[in-house]
Amino acid sequence: MKAPARLPRALAAATAMVMGLSLAACGNSDSGGDSNTFHVLVYGDTGNKVEKDIVAEFNKTSKVKAVLDTIPGADYQAKLQTIINTKQAPDVFFNWGGGSIRPFVKAGLLQPLDDMIKTDPKLKSMFVPTVFDAATVDGKPYGVPMRGTQPVLLFDNKKVLDSAGVQQPKTLDDLMAAVPKLKAKGVTPIALGGGDKWPTLMWFEYLYDRIAGPDVLKKALSGDKDVWASPDSKKALAAIKQLVGTGAFGKNFDSVKYTDGGSVSLVNKGKAAFELMGSWYFSQQQDSAPAFAKDGLEYTTFPTVSGGKGDPSDLVGNTNNYYSVMKKAPHKEAIAKFLAFMYSERFINDQLQIGNLPTTTNTKDALHTSTNATYLNYQYDLVAKAKGFQLSWDQAYTQDNATQLQNAIQQYFNGSIDQDGFIKAMQGLKTD
Amino acid sequence: MAWALPATVFFLLFAIVPLILVAVLSFTSWSGLGDPVFNGLDNWTKLFDDPVMIKSLWLSVLLTGLGVVVQTPLSILLGVWAAGSQRNRAVLSAVFFVPLLLSATAVSILWRSLLDPNFGVPSQMKWLFGDGNLFGNQSTAIGVLVFVAAWQFTPLHTLIYQGATRAIPEVLYQAAAIDGAGRVRQFFHVTLPQLRNAIITSMILMIVGGLTTFDTVLILTQGGPGTDTTISAYYMYDKAFKGFDYGTGAAVALLLVVVATVISLIVVRVSGFDKMAGTQEGVS
Amino acid sequence: MRQRPNYLAGIATLCWLVLVGLPVYVMLGASFQSQSDFSAAGPLSWPAHFTFDNFVSDFQNGFGQYFLNTVIVTVCVVAIVALLVPPLAFAIVRNIGRRSTRSVFRLFLLGLAVPAQAVIVPMFYVMSQLGLYDNLIGVILPTAAFCLPVCALILTGTMREIAPELFEAMTVDGASTHRVFFQLVVPLSRGGLSTIVVFSALQAWNGFLFPLVLTQSESSKVITLGLYNFRTQYGTNVPGLLAAVLMSTVPILLVYLFARRALIQGLMGVGGK
Repeated sequence: MKAPARLPRALAAATAMVMGLSLAACGNSDSGGDSNTFHVLVYGDTGNKVEKDIVAEFNKTSKVKAVLDTIPGADYQAKLQTIINTKQAPDVFFNWGGGSIRPFVKAGLLQPLDDMIKTDPKLKSMFVPTVFDAATVDGKPYGVPMRGTQPVLLFDNKKVLDSAGVQQPKTLDDLMAAVPKLKAKGVTPIALGGGDKWPTLMWFEYLYDRIAGPDVLKKALSGDKDVWASPDSKKALAAIKQLVGTGAFGKNFDSVKYTDGGSVSLVNKGKAAFELMGSWYFSQQQDSAPAFAKDGLEYTTFPTVSGGKGDPSDLVGNTNNYYSVMKKAPHKEAIAKFLAFMYSERFINDQLQIGNLPTTTNTKDALHTSTNATYLNYQYDLVAKAKGFQLSWDQAYTQDNATQLQNAIQQYFNGSIDQDGFIKAMQGLKTD
Repeated sequence: MAWALPATVFFLLFAIVPLILVAVLSFTSWSGLGDPVFNGLDNWTKLFDDPVMIKSLWLSVLLTGLGVVVQTPLSILLGVWAAGSQRNRAVLSAVFFVPLLLSATAVSILWRSLLDPNFGVPSQMKWLFGDGNLFGNQSTAIGVLVFVAAWQFTPLHTLIYQGATRAIPEVLYQAAAIDGAGRVRQFFHVTLPQLRNAIITSMILMIVGGLTTFDTVLILTQGGPGTDTTISAYYMYDKAFKGFDYGTGAAVALLLVVVATVISLIVVRVSGFDKMAGTQEGVS
Repeated sequence: MRQRPNYLAGIATLCWLVLVGLPVYVMLGASFQSQSDFSAAGPLSWPAHFTFDNFVSDFQNGFGQYFLNTVIVTVCVVAIVALLVPPLAFAIVRNIGRRSTRSVFRLFLLGLAVPAQAVIVPMFYVMSQLGLYDNLIGVILPTAAFCLPVCALILTGTMREIAPELFEAMTVDGASTHRVFFQLVVPLSRGGLSTIVVFSALQAWNGFLFPLVLTQSESSKVITLGLYNFRTQYGTNVPGLLAAVLMSTVPILLVYLFARRALIQGLMGVGGK
């Protein structure tokens, strides 16, 4: 390794490096002290292209400049919560609405957007109402939609369905009837990335909505714990148990993951027929199996349940992402102007370019230009006509419940807790 | 004494002071929004009523114990064999240490895709893995964690035993051979007793390493299925950085330090290992 | 040497080799395949069409930046350890009779049993108060601190081997403590020094928990964290991920080729995390 004689020089170099780093660090850390900017914090991923473009466009005409910061990947929410009350807090930030901002509202950190909407009514009127409403807390609006909507759809492999003589299911009974036919063909009826836990949640969200109606979650979130033990809730749980019991998801779903491509491959290789997933699944399949995505991938809405309380048009998923504004943010007028970009044509076209579906009321006019026009049109109509759009449970509840919620979901699904155990776990979730 | 000062101060600042702060934080309630608020023994009483916490401690001990049970015989066997003279040892040892060079992150990612039930090894060896639901049952999930830890750290312990075996005087074997002891008896009567210090060293490493396993659980199982592989270190991370309950997280952390220290002290005491001179054998 | 070859151990070794080789084979195989080939053929496949696209796209996704950050962290950690530990070990070895020295040594021994996980919550708090959150320095300092106990142990062991007569001879010649340290102790503990350098380099290179909790932005991300986030950020591109894993190990493999003995000695300390 290093001879001792050469150590000092290496040390000197390293010391210089440390000094340089410290200086660089000091250079970056004085955010917010700048009088003529506001900081916009966004979840870091491939979608940042659009955010960068919009910020650049805004800065062309504005005296007050927007500065874009990102936090990459899965830790966004945790990191956000840890900096939001420090000097490093942003002025405008990305979130999922619902439970992801409720604690901040409770802590008095966020600016209600009423006044901005009074000045510029389009900040509300230009967006699909069900989507806009997912970012209201205690009756006040706190977020402006800023990316795309991601409803959960039922995808399938057309070839597999044909070979088993199965149609796309219209009702839950259709789906139940298809299971033995598909099993007889030696395929897993429904692919499920149970190892990630959140794909399993999607089945709960839809079956609860279809069978027990959207009110169960509304009541539960407002603190009514008994609703989990209601007959409707138990009916939904029984349906879930029945579906798992028929072997619809195979035996090893808890070892399969969506995030490492496991469940995706099952479907595109014809080893599984269906998969319930957010609308991003389409582009995921385009990446993994381009040929299959072109001519073998179908999609439809979640089946209806006869006698259920939910509306057949109801959707679940990520309604959209939102920009919320901090109370302490400077330059509120400039920020309002920045938020107005979220319904601009440039923004809509940018989002469509990368396959996101914005939820403005005029999105539809721009759709014909995009590459996946059919798919996007289909989604847009669903969202626009949906009577209710249920935010994913793990986003609707505050984030500190995520682990407990996901564990309960997984354990009930694989049979390690029973109905009462599940009800008890759900009653144990924190609501305010 | 001035010579020791910089290192001691540095260590106090960045390892011991935070440790004291852990103790302080464990008596507060802090969600990251605002400042920690003192709440007495709340976190602790909550913890000992929390079945998941009790389970996580038990799982930590279980995982550590299994690690010792699996890795010790294996690495003694491999170490003793590697101490001998073989022609192809260079090639072997070159491949041998690869697991040690990889980060736990990389190792976990690799094994996760290898063990995919439909496309990985289990799909090719149905007679062994059945439906391949390795991550869906507690026993098999723990099995995977123990296996991956063994895969990564057995080479290290093999090294320790190889070094220690080489240091055993040949005279002892010759004497045993004269007494008519066969190979097996030589192993049990000469090699093993002589490896005592190496075994203790390697066990302490395994225990501390086992109790603080974290990366592999985070990537391979996320503590699942359910909470079936939520060991204490992961539970702490989850409480603090996913549940935003930093006070409880700190309490779990403190508990972990106490358990690790107590176990290490017991091993050290039982083996008379705190005679400073002894610490070196097998370590370097 | 010993008598006949030991077949039992030999067979165990062979099995172990297969187990070690398999993931390495998968890593190599996947790294050079396109995503669609890989998902068509499964992880146990060898590439039908070799491609370097995965490496290219990793670099487009910021791998170069992560790599640079990891190098910075590693160099700084090694520098801190190499600066602090030799004087410490020297003081311990020369003054072991004193009570104060013994308590310092005990402190570091105690440190062996303190896992990094245990201090991560307050570490986060301290770093955000110091304004070092999301800054490589915030990762470097605790990483180095947690290398100290093992390194101190290794180096005191090495220095204790130095014959007392040598010290006496130098002291009789009227050499200052400084001279004794630089002209006698440092040259004679070269083995131990290279061991602690390698050990701390490996710790820094493969460290995960401190970066995970103490950094957030793209510009301060290290490789291990990059690997961890890769999955959530770019969907399910396994070949891209494994190519990044492969690249993260290449530097260590190179060191391994050129400095195997030092590396193996450094590894001996690794289990002591």
